[in-house]
Amino acid sequence: MSGGAARWPTGLPGVLDDAIEAAAAPGGPFHPATGARLDAREEFPADACAVLDEHAMARAYVPAELGGVPGGLPELVAALRTVARRDVTVAVAHGKTFLGSVPTWVAGTDGQRRALARRVLDGAVVSWGLTEPGHGSDLLAGRLTAEPTADGGRRLDGAKWPINNATRGDLISVLARTAPEGGPRGFGLLLVDKATLPPGSWSPLPKEPTHGIRGADISGIRFTGAEVPADALTGGPGDGLDVVLRSLQLTRTVCTSLSLGAGEHALRLAHAFAAGRAMYGTALLRLPLARRVLGRAAASLALADAASLLAARAAHCLTGEMSVVSAVVKAGVPEIVQLAVDDLAELLGARGFLTEHHEHGAFQKLERDHRIVAVFDGSTAVNRASLINQFPALARLHRTGTHDTEGLAAAVAAGPVPPLDFGALRLFSRTGCSVVQALPDAVGRLAALAAAGDVPPRVPELARALATEATAVADAMAAARPAGRDTPPGDFGTARRYERCFAGAAAALLLLADPGDQVRVTSLTAALERALELLRPGHEAPEEAYEPMLETLAEPAKELIA
Amino acid sequence: MSELTTQTPQPTAAELVDWLRGRVAAQTGRPAAEIDADVPLNDYGLDSVYVFGLCAEIEDQYGIEVEPTVMWDNTSLAPLADALLGLIAAR
Repeated sequence: MSGGAARWPTGLPGVLDDAIEAAAAPGGPFHPATGARLDAREEFPADACAVLDEHAMARAYVPAELGGVPGGLPELVAALRTVARRDVTVAVAHGKTFLGSVPTWVAGTDGQRRALARRVLDGAVVSWGLTEPGHGSDLLAGRLTAEPTADGGRRLDGAKWPINNATRGDLISVLARTAPEGGPRGFGLLLVDKATLPPGSWSPLPKEPTHGIRGADISGIRFTGAEVPADALTGGPGDGLDVVLRSLQLTRTVCTSLSLGAGEHALRLAHAFAAGRAMYGTALLRLPLARRVLGRAAASLALADAASLLAARAAHCLTGEMSVVSAVVKAGVPEIVQLAVDDLAELLGARGFLTEHHEHGAFQKLERDHRIVAVFDGSTAVNRASLINQFPALARLHRTGTHDTEGLAAAVAAGPVPPLDFGALRLFSRTGCSVVQALPDAVGRLAALAAAGDVPPRVPELARALATEATAVADAMAAARPAGRDTPPGDFGTARRYERCFAGAAAALLLLADPGDQVRVTSLTAALERALELLRPGHEAPEEAYEPMLETLAEPAKELIA
Repeated sequence: MSELTTQTPQPTAAELVDWLRGRVAAQTGRPAAEIDADVPLNDYGLDSVYVFGLCAEIEDQYGIEVEPTVMWDNTSLAPLADALLGLIAAR
């Protein structure tokens, strides 16, 4: 599959993959039995995180110009996915440092950015405190205050909860009310170094029991007159919401790596089970129904992968469109993967649910862990609301077919991405979503390739069908009248359809960019089949559509053979 | 993109407020006459991020580039129109 660790055989994802493989030996921190034991005890996976620290995982959290990996967001997505396909809890626990750091990359001064980069590369854990008890996802409802002090600093009072790594974190980026009346200009973002706070001015709030990622440090922090220096402020005192919304465009994109990893893990477990399970005198893997389920799940992952890869590259190449792209993939990718995980769970039957059988209950653990991905960093509903808000502009631009040709060409190419221009992130995309808007244009080019015998004729057929769906979705978007409150339920359904159009368009454009790679064309064609299934109720892909995906599934990994 | 948009002539402050009022009315489903230029848009149900849609329409109509945060710095239509007039004149 494209976009996985294989794309960086010598980069960080490859290094991590080898290190994790070694640490997955019996008794090792990444062995399924270890993960199961910690999960049962709700214990933090400290040893697994130490493996990632030893291999400089933190380099993926830092921009290249500040000493981070050269591959930017796509390399970070590949690195976190490598971790998540062994243990989503570990990926969530370690990856949080990226979330806590992004606001500084987006809006920090040169000095602030350099200082934080040093800390992160030295292994500091950074957390991000947005939500507060009783206020749900509404960022502007926060009551934690940051009042000016006589020496130019700020005094923090209030609590943040539930926050990933609030207790373990060395630093925490806190959204705080800087004007009593609040509002979009009444909040600031402060990077708090817990070690510098006077004793007694802060206290951790206890870890919350969770259904998934049970081992993660999901806790909170309370500040009581905690004084921070003037340079704790990231951006201006009224820039908090602006900085948070632009930072979320990157963190939401990176969250898709957790889904890709969980989905791959599920597929690997189910495939190994089917290969080893005798049924009706043959292996389950040879039965048509099992093949269909596995092939379709693999196609779903290829579709999710295409969407995630193009989104991560878009952060570098179509930066101003990330208000759309990040909402689309944060809502769409976890859902596409969850549907695949649900199908695979049925194939596994009881083994999918037992906590102490079949690979130490790895399937039921990843299934629980993955459900949380749809919730954090903005739930699916929050992301869909943000997308619905952009419907009128998206509908208008879809009709014209205009798109950022140059940015899109760079985004779909296989080459390295340009450095991420954090200042180019915008709260509202001026050019809509080039990936979807370019779909009609791609149909013609794919048809030409098919006529020349360079791609299977099914490819332009599928792309044309997807373009028809996209037009219908654009018509529905044009009729919407987003106003923030009382959004009609139908608009959420339209948002879901748009997400699937994006994923399908991503697959079509990636295929178009490199039609010579046969394995990739097979995988992306199956992704297109799956996108159409997801967009057309009642439509099923042709009988043999997913069969080629079975061949791309790797041999079951060693540790999975019982 | 802005250079491709048909240029709308420089509006007066009153014309601009009227046009904005019409857009807010369309987005919120209220009669335009009910939209007071000195009442925060938030009071009409346009929350902090929902005002960005209006921003996109302004760009299209007047061929200017507007930072979405202009909507946060000017929470009702009268000051918003003042802020936009300068940008439109500078096209």
